[in-house]
Amino acid sequence: MARGTLIAANIGAIILAAAAFYVLAERQHAEREALRHAAVDLTPACRAKLDRYGLAASDVYRSPYLKQPVTARGYGEADVRAIQRGCNIVDDMQGELAATGDRERWNAKRFSRSHTASCDHCHQSLGDKQDAEGNRLVGSNSLAASWVMADMYDRFTGLLLPYELRQMQCYINSSNGFKPNAADDVLRDVTAYTRFLSAAVDLKIGNRYPEQGIDEIPVSATLRRGDDYVRGAHLYRENCARCHGPQGFGTTAGGKTVFPALAGPNSFSLDSRMNFARVNSVIPGFICRNMPPNEEGRLSNQDCRDIGYYISTLPRPAGDKQGPLAAAWQQLMMTVMPPLTGYADALGNSHVQPLDNDAAN
Amino acid sequence: MKAIAAVAGIAAFVLIAHLSGLFPVFRSHVAAEPGWQQFRRAYQLSEFGEDGHFVRAAQNGYNVFYFTYRYAWRFTRKGETDAHNACASCHRAEDLAYAFVNSDRYDARSGKRTSFEERVMRCFAEHMDGFVPTLYDPTVRDLRILARAVAHHMQLGEGALPSAENTWRAAR
Repeated sequence: MARGTLIAANIGAIILAAAAFYVLAERQHAEREALRHAAVDLTPACRAKLDRYGLAASDVYRSPYLKQPVTARGYGEADVRAIQRGCNIVDDMQGELAATGDRERWNAKRFSRSHTASCDHCHQSLGDKQDAEGNRLVGSNSLAASWVMADMYDRFTGLLLPYELRQMQCYINSSNGFKPNAADDVLRDVTAYTRFLSAAVDLKIGNRYPEQGIDEIPVSATLRRGDDYVRGAHLYRENCARCHGPQGFGTTAGGKTVFPALAGPNSFSLDSRMNFARVNSVIPGFICRNMPPNEEGRLSNQDCRDIGYYISTLPRPAGDKQGPLAAAWQQLMMTVMPPLTGYADALGNSHVQPLDNDAAN
Repeated sequence: MKAIAAVAGIAAFVLIAHLSGLFPVFRSHVAAEPGWQQFRRAYQLSEFGEDGHFVRAAQNGYNVFYFTYRYAWRFTRKGETDAHNACASCHRAEDLAYAFVNSDRYDARSGKRTSFEERVMRCFAEHMDGFVPTLYDPTVRDLRILARAVAHHMQLGEGALPSAENTWRAAR
């Protein structure tokens, strides 16, 4: 009898736990569904971008950007909201500008160990960087151009890389975080926004556009005198430290990220393609085409390689592929190096003045 | 004795799962089915992609599209003798391309935004009287890649509307 009671109690407990889990899952689903139908509070940058491209629910879409308008299929209300949410995630992944925090961003920051990373840091101008005349810029990491060339062979992963998997890599490496599910709203909304951008600027599927990815700078594009750490450090202090901080920890003001971290716990990881030590042509290409803001093209190829080399030596999180020992070592370096470097800088009369730095620079 | 049998059963299951089952589902070699060379020339597939990987995936997509009962047999109950036993029984390659560039939109039938992959899954479950592949399955991926290749050949952009002669097909 006692044994029978025990079994019945166990079965009851299991059923109760399963029911509780079910109710919890239902609540989560209902909350997500409510968010999908809720009006989207756009960030100022997104409002400007989407207004400029004439996003509205309609049967057909004609982009105001195009001199010869192309008639494409329009967007429904649900599509418009998805595009708006995607734009918000690109602009403000951490939810710093959201009234109710990162909930409005599908809690995207649960996929990021960095507390400051946002897509817009690498994919500038919301992934659609243009000059004053509206020309899309070479090597500007355009999201739209990346979408039309998705599913191509990727030499870094050895995969035919779908757009969703590419986004996952961004979360894992650039944000030093975790992989969202391929069907998660956080990826789908960014894909919706990206596809809208490609409609707005009328990119054709499978065409290679110069604004796609990074205009890499290999050694052969320099004077071939080698990458110089000391020169890189000097150039960094002259050109980059004012925004990114003397030790590359980024700049924050009032709890909001102003300039992204290049080193330290909020930076991209060692597994990232931005890590010079892993792929030595990517970050120089990014720097030369995108940095400093509004002065792009000022730095020479050699300058960009030297700066990239210097940045790669700053302590940053180990990637998942590096293993626990490397992770522990990097953690130690991120703790020990900043005060030491700060002390050395103080002795060396560093003249760099950060804007307003909440981080431990 | 029972314990040994249980352990052996578990070990066998793990081994089979590790080796991807008893049947060669994932192939690195793609067989050239009838019509492939003409298709490849017609859609200029050889000039697309930086190397053979994309074309090989598109070729597998071609095989799945025209010979579904043979290359996606896991996801359909249709056999060689059935009248409508392949994607090509209802769609043309161009339909696939238009569906691709018009995907990720709100679908009134399902009441939600629907991706190209989800439409492929639904086709397998309904029209092919079969089972739903996962999002990551090479069958779904290669059909998407085939759609991309054709869309590239047709120089379609996002949301491209089918021309009059294509309307009846793409609207299905």
